Amino acid sequence: MSEALLASETPGTGAATAPAPASGARQFWRRLRTQRAALVAAAVVALLVLVALAAPLLTALEGQDPTSYHPGLVDSARGGVPVGSFGGMSADHWLGVEPQTGRDLFARLVHGARVSLGVAVVATVLQVAIGVAVGLASGLGGRWLDQTLSRATDVMVALPLMVLALALLAVVPSGFPRPVLVALVIGFVGWGGIAKVVRAKTISLKSLDHVAAARLSGWGGVRIARRELLPALAAPVITYAALLVPTNITVEAALSFLGVGVKPPTASWGQMLTSADVWYQAAPQYLLLPAAALFVTVLALTVLGDGVRTALDPRAASRLRIGTGRKREGAA
Amino acid sequence: MRLRRQKSVISRRVAVASATLVVLSVGAAACAGPDDKSAAGGGGKPQRGGTLTVLNSSPQSDFDPARLYTSGGGNVPSLVFRTLTTRNREDGAEGTKVVPDLAEGLGKPSKNATVWTYKIKKGVKFEDGTPVTTKDIKYGIERSFAAELSGGAPFLRDWLIGGATYQGPYKDKKGLDSVETPDDQTIVFRLNKPVGDFDYVATQTSFAPVPKAKDKGTKYEEHPVSTGPYKVVKNSGDGERLQLERNPHWSAETDAERKAYPDKIDVRSGLNSSVINQRLSASQGADAAAITTDTNLGPAELAKVSGDKKLAAQVGTGHFGYTNYLAFNPKVKPFDDPKVRQAIAYAVDRTSVINAAGGSSLAEPATTFLPNQESFGYTKFDHFPAGASGNAKKAKELLKQAGHEDGLTITLTHSNDKNFETSPEIATALQDALKKAGITVKLQGLEDNDYEDKVHDAKDEPGLFLAHWGADWPSGGPFLAPIFDGRQIVEDGYNFNSSFLNDKSVNREIDEINQLTDHAAAAKRWGALDKKIGAKALNVPLFHPVYKRLYGKDVKNVVISDWTGVLDVSQVAVK
Repeated sequence: MSEALLASETPGTGAATAPAPASGARQFWRRLRTQRAALVAAAVVALLVLVALAAPLLTALEGQDPTSYHPGLVDSARGGVPVGSFGGMSADHWLGVEPQTGRDLFARLVHGARVSLGVAVVATVLQVAIGVAVGLASGLGGRWLDQTLSRATDVMVALPLMVLALALLAVVPSGFPRPVLVALVIGFVGWGGIAKVVRAKTISLKSLDHVAAARLSGWGGVRIARRELLPALAAPVITYAALLVPTNITVEAALSFLGVGVKPPTASWGQMLTSADVWYQAAPQYLLLPAAALFVTVLALTVLGDGVRTALDPRAASRLRIGTGRKREGAA
Repeated sequence: MRLRRQKSVISRRVAVASATLVVLSVGAAACAGPDDKSAAGGGGKPQRGGTLTVLNSSPQSDFDPARLYTSGGGNVPSLVFRTLTTRNREDGAEGTKVVPDLAEGLGKPSKNATVWTYKIKKGVKFEDGTPVTTKDIKYGIERSFAAELSGGAPFLRDWLIGGATYQGPYKDKKGLDSVETPDDQTIVFRLNKPVGDFDYVATQTSFAPVPKAKDKGTKYEEHPVSTGPYKVVKNSGDGERLQLERNPHWSAETDAERKAYPDKIDVRSGLNSSVINQRLSASQGADAAAITTDTNLGPAELAKVSGDKKLAAQVGTGHFGYTNYLAFNPKVKPFDDPKVRQAIAYAVDRTSVINAAGGSSLAEPATTFLPNQESFGYTKFDHFPAGASGNAKKAKELLKQAGHEDGLTITLTHSNDKNFETSPEIATALQDALKKAGITVKLQGLEDNDYEDKVHDAKDEPGLFLAHWGADWPSGGPFLAPIFDGRQIVEDGYNFNSSFLNDKSVNREIDEINQLTDHAAAAKRWGALDKKIGAKALNVPLFHPVYKRLYGKDVKNVVISDWTGVLDVSQVAVK
């Protein structure tokens, strides 16, 4: 009660009642550190990001590039299957070569990581920005605005993302840079979920005394959102975003797999999977490499996202601690 | 005139579609060359009996002789429909010859090849025992003009006198005067222009007899009356499953071409191509006596099959007259400059293009527009020798002469369909090769329908695109005329003369060769014409596809002609 009173007297300090940024962050790191799986996942993600950023360096180190053809490294009479064992792996071509073209697979894989991760991150940022804006406006706005935005959100959630993205990607002129386009399309189509979460949270926060006080003292919607709501929304939004990244990676892969994603000769994991799917018997490593890369990345990001959610959820965090304590008691 | 134009536009479009189909489906299997022949399926003399299963992806839709669009009468259709003439059912080049079927001999042309007369054999019967007369053939031809029975080949509409305005037997009871039947054994065709190749056209299913009394219009396709060794017992799902059994009134005495060993033929369609190849390689149960008439081995499947000796013996190899090429639109800059076109011709790397198309077993390098077969008039030439992997130096030199010493940026249009013909893989291989000559290629990939419409639209045609062409019969005429005859440029509609060549001397030569009824003499001149046009660098021939097809382990007597490039169902034995 005293807290509420305090808040109503000095609305500006309302933010302090929500987890304070500084101490919140410290607490977050502390909670995240207790989860070993999340740490390993974070390390994997960091490594992937590093590989993606250093792709040109790594391929230069190997002495290859992702687009050059090596007709001599494939057996033309046998449909273009790579010459040599394990798909033509050698000191020159660390992960072998692509069937039919002889392009270096390591170079294509690491350059593909840039597209896959880049598109997913940009798309996620867009989804979060749009979702938070729509959710806040909907939660704070009047009945009409809320109704309109909520229905629009429902439509976005109900529409199958893939179908909409396929349609959009098919109509845009081919001159538009493809990875940017894919990121934009995924970003503008997939914000429905986050908007719903933000709206629900906003409505529940709105009834809290410190927000009510802020409104009574005549604050505008934007100021309330920024000072009173956003800090409290950080946890659910970050959690949601962390889980959106792997989803977006798979969406990009699926779009490229269906032939509307990035265009040749640009490599992306999804595009590699498309060309590789028929080769699973004759040159299995061609399919397994991008599949494994995709699997590891999505798994790492999902585990990390889960860890972030646990670390940001006070109840889950305390349960975690209680849980470990109890276990220790039981063992004793 | 305008109406005529439009009509031929529509039909041409069908022509392309079917050409593709023919390739995809007819094409693959195999012509086992001379060595395969002895090894073909298990050995031993072929015996009568058993059931042959055909596993296909496309159904035998509209199974009506007026509606089928085939090369040489088709594979499965030819089991049911006999035609005036037919393909010689032999391996390789012998199989590109045309031979009489219902007719006693090949047609007798008038001096300028505008009137063709055929006499038909006595003793040929329909499946109900009634004898076949030339009136039935005339009726069959008239049906193919009916608007409700669309889909067939356009040639008779273009060539028969009065064909352009004739509406078919349902609307126009009087019939088509330019097809005469002076008696039951004779039929005469009067054409509005010389057609030296008429015998080849008479292999198409529109030349199959249809008894007027049994015609049920669009319903005729459910049970067409057979003249061939098999009759339709059941047709379900518009040709999705077609069950054929022996026609007791067919006699091998009047039919030297069809062997008809199996007692029953079961055509099952609507299958995924990888499923078909998987089932044929497993050869379990009924699949051991199975073939496909429309599914090729892809590069990855070939890689797997060629590593397995037993399976490799179950593969037939065939050559269908077909060319994949890079087409220029000389109306679009910089392709108006012959030097630029030549530079590109020098720069192409046919090795990497062929690898992208499936490798040296599935494609052969092309430097001529005509397919590398004698029957087309193949004359070897290489006007812009690029070697196996491109001559970037010569290309750069030409570009410099054309004023592009700082390099050139161009757009290549291709289809996104994964067909190993006009697909992104081929485009990317070309992109890589041209880069070495200082040409930056931007790729414009289009969805397949969009691509087909765009590249055949005279007003919207891209400057540079991947194209392919196959002919309806193995002769230079249908291969060259639609692409290079200036009078066949279609301004509003489906255009195939993509280089807009309208050269009087070329047009005149086409007309002159069309008058020749001696195939060998005509072939020689088609070859010379190909060489002459080739020097203009209006396109860059890339490769001629080769078809590889699996068949079941119990299949015998595999015959693959160069006419179709695929295993002939009428020759197959399963016992």
